Amino acid sequence: MIKKIINLNYYELLEVSPAATKQEIHKAYERIRRVYEPNSIALYSLFTPEESAAMQQRIEEAYRTLVYEDNRKRYDASLRARNRLEGESAPPLQPKFQPQVVQPAFSLPSENRYLGSAAPASQPLKQVPPEPPQEKATPVDNLIAEFTGPAIKILREQRGFTIRNIADITKVGSRYLEYIETESFNKLPQRPYLRGFLAIYAKALGCNPERMVSDFIKRYDAAVSQKQK
Amino acid sequence: MIDTTLQDALRKKEIWAIGGGKGGIGKSIITGNIGIYLARLKKKVLMVDADLGGANLHTTLGIDVPNVTLSDFLNRRVDTIQDVIIKTSIPNLSLISGAQDFLDAANPNFAQKTRLLRHLETLDADYILLDLGAGTSFNILDFFLFSDYGILVVLPEPTAIENTYRFIKSAFYRRFKRVVTNQGIRDLIDAAMDQKNSMGIRTPYELIEHVKQMEQEVGEILELEVLKFKPKLIVNQVRTKNDIQIGFAMKSACQKYFGIDLEYLGYVEYDDCVWQSIRSKRPLAVEYPYSRPSRCIERIVHNLLKKEQLSLNVLY
Repeated sequence: MIKKIINLNYYELLEVSPAATKQEIHKAYERIRRVYEPNSIALYSLFTPEESAAMQQRIEEAYRTLVYEDNRKRYDASLRARNRLEGESAPPLQPKFQPQVVQPAFSLPSENRYLGSAAPASQPLKQVPPEPPQEKATPVDNLIAEFTGPAIKILREQRGFTIRNIADITKVGSRYLEYIETESFNKLPQRPYLRGFLAIYAKALGCNPERMVSDFIKRYDAAVSQKQK
Repeated sequence: MIDTTLQDALRKKEIWAIGGGKGGIGKSIITGNIGIYLARLKKKVLMVDADLGGANLHTTLGIDVPNVTLSDFLNRRVDTIQDVIIKTSIPNLSLISGAQDFLDAANPNFAQKTRLLRHLETLDADYILLDLGAGTSFNILDFFLFSDYGILVVLPEPTAIENTYRFIKSAFYRRFKRVVTNQGIRDLIDAAMDQKNSMGIRTPYELIEHVKQMEQEVGEILELEVLKFKPKLIVNQVRTKNDIQIGFAMKSACQKYFGIDLEYLGYVEYDDCVWQSIRSKRPLAVEYPYSRPSRCIERIVHNLLKKEQLSLNVLY
């Protein structure tokens, strides 16, 4: 029922659902890290400095584990194994988990309901990681007419990412991300490389890679052909 | 504005207690204005100044020192609690004042307290708001625990936050003691309230573990009590976005430290007009209905009626 802080799993620690996307985990981490800062006044008199330092370390650990896909898969597997062990005495029925589909919204930041699922879990008891969800393209938001450089930039800012964050997640050089956003077509790499960068960037933003790639490549081709003329 | 569909939110009588360890954090002002907003929604509201020995709810409503007060009832100078209810100038809103009470009023005995609580339950009102005093004395905790919903007010300041946690902890242990009959466990809870106890019990979690070792069943009952205890939080005098964030941070800390679900009802922005309304002895919701603090309180009433809480989206 109630869990001691050290017994919380990483999802419970970051207050995200086990089906959370990378962006949600990143956002939650940013928030939780600020909450458990050693000087955080909201914790005043509740935690000792040593406790909040230990907490801070665990939060870092949790983030580093969950934000990298390989680590996360391994961690999920270990959690499931532990759960199965504990569950042997209990009824063997494993609750089927429905992965939540996250709909990215292209709206003003103030009305951004996208992060609703990153809210603290009201039912902290059901924190069992799901079976890895099938690869499925996230539904594209029809409100985005065309993925231009500036549109991508707005989208990224809405998600609360800096160029640096995206570079960390995607391993694409921050220079190239900037060129994409400023549409500096002449500085961008050759078409096939660009396609790859765009696809991985789209995934990090949680939007449909196919649409973002084709939209942007179209603009790229137009610019390049104009230059050749 | 609050829409009328809210009005059939609930027909049953509810008792709300507004407290929060520290003094001067706006408990009475928030209580008074929540009362006014509820009354405007055509709810029958009765406000009780349970701040025995330091009552000034009547002042936040701009009412002069009333003739009959709660102490008349406690001292049996009147027969029923009906006789100490005073009407205010706002329709549907009435008040039991605690003003000008006898000097010993701050410490009603057990019989007086139970009589008051028993009579409160018989009253005809949609909402009864109890304005609690500062501190963590047993009377205040009992009023808080007796109510259907306990609301805690906090300022974004270390002093107020410290007292809020203290209040939660005290209320918690007092609640534990009420459900436990075994003397050994009662002694253990008493010992655990001492932060430097020899058994090393620092959190409610550790206490429950200890109790479970003594008696498994009682430990499980206490665990259930933890889940049932859902205080609500209002952050008052908010000046920056970080101050709003403090409510979420406290919610997270409470979940992890106490294992309780603190509901973040809302925040009230800082504005000089609150101070001006007090100086002019007129309620904020009447004097400055369109000011930011008024709007914030309106939103809190909205959340209270809909049984909702603030979501993280307000930060983005």
